[in-house]
Amino acid sequence: MADENGGELRKRTFVITRFDPDKDQVPKTQSYEIACRPDWKVLDALNFIKDEIDPTLSHRWSCRMAVCGSCGMNVDGEPKLTCKTSLAEYGDTVEVAPLANFPVIRDLVIEMDGFMEKFKAVKPWIIVAKEKAAEEGTYKQTPEELAAYKQFSMCINCMLCYAACPVVSQEPEFLGPAAIALGHRYNMDSRDEGAAERNEVFRGPGTVFQCSYANECSEVCPKNVDPAAAINQAKLNAVVDWASGFVVKRGK
Amino acid sequence: MKTLLLRMEPIVWLLFGAGIMVGTLLLPGYLLTVTLAGPLGLLPDGALAYDRVYGIASNPIGRLVLLALVALPLWKGAHHTRALAVDLLGHGADAPVGSLLYAIAAVGSVLGILAVLAL
Repeated sequence: MADENGGELRKRTFVITRFDPDKDQVPKTQSYEIACRPDWKVLDALNFIKDEIDPTLSHRWSCRMAVCGSCGMNVDGEPKLTCKTSLAEYGDTVEVAPLANFPVIRDLVIEMDGFMEKFKAVKPWIIVAKEKAAEEGTYKQTPEELAAYKQFSMCINCMLCYAACPVVSQEPEFLGPAAIALGHRYNMDSRDEGAAERNEVFRGPGTVFQCSYANECSEVCPKNVDPAAAINQAKLNAVVDWASGFVVKRGK
Repeated sequence: MKTLLLRMEPIVWLLFGAGIMVGTLLLPGYLLTVTLAGPLGLLPDGALAYDRVYGIASNPIGRLVLLALVALPLWKGAHHTRALAVDLLGHGADAPVGSLLYAIAAVGSVLGILAVLAL
């Protein structure tokens, strides 16, 4: 069996987790057998199923180029960006489920409100006591100052790290890898003056110290952000900030 | 209790991190030397002679090293065991078990300080 370009098609069975909030009490699985082209990503197969076989299948996707962060799902039990994950890595049966550690809205679509709240909690914007006047010019940064945070700014909010994190699965209030990495990204930014506020958040109820350094977040991150490194740097900074609070009186 | 534990996190984490360094890097070497190599006769004669060892241990730096060997692994153990308690007994166990373990580590550390001072 070959497609129009001569590529060899391969039959695969997709075992997909389905959940309809109007009908189902618990999620169930449904199998689809389709002929896959050799160059397909997991997302291509899901789109084929939705377009050609079962229009009721719900999944999120948008850019198809690992930038938008919408198409994260658990593929064979591991959090993956489905547009970036080649089917060639998988066998004849591929299991696709929604990302773990999130409430499910429908089928493969997860509820991300809690995640967005955690994002807001770390104040992911540049905090300055007094904004420079426009005439004073722009904020300049050296390449070294840029390098201090650039890696942590590459996050696309795909939430794979939350699905992989064993602490997130046990401690719902834990800020989690992406949010801490983002907060740390602003703490490391030479233009920012908000580190004390964020360190307060880092030591608060969703504390960074809950991280047990399983490193799963960095394992699954499709953009090599290395959130585990960010968290552990954030821990140390939060401790130094806490200790210096005894020496230096803080102005509010 | 939960709030107190949360407020203690920075110092606990610092002691825990130091405990990992000491407990996994220094303590095995110490145990290997004193409890295995010594009794097996692998050390040069008189290496662990009382006067010699006392001289090292009672030196101010020796006292600090001894204190680190005694106190820091207690915090590592307490922190690990607290996480284990949550895994085995659930979240309800966190505050009581955590407080108890840190109290033990704190008492042990104080005893360690008294012991190295009394050397």
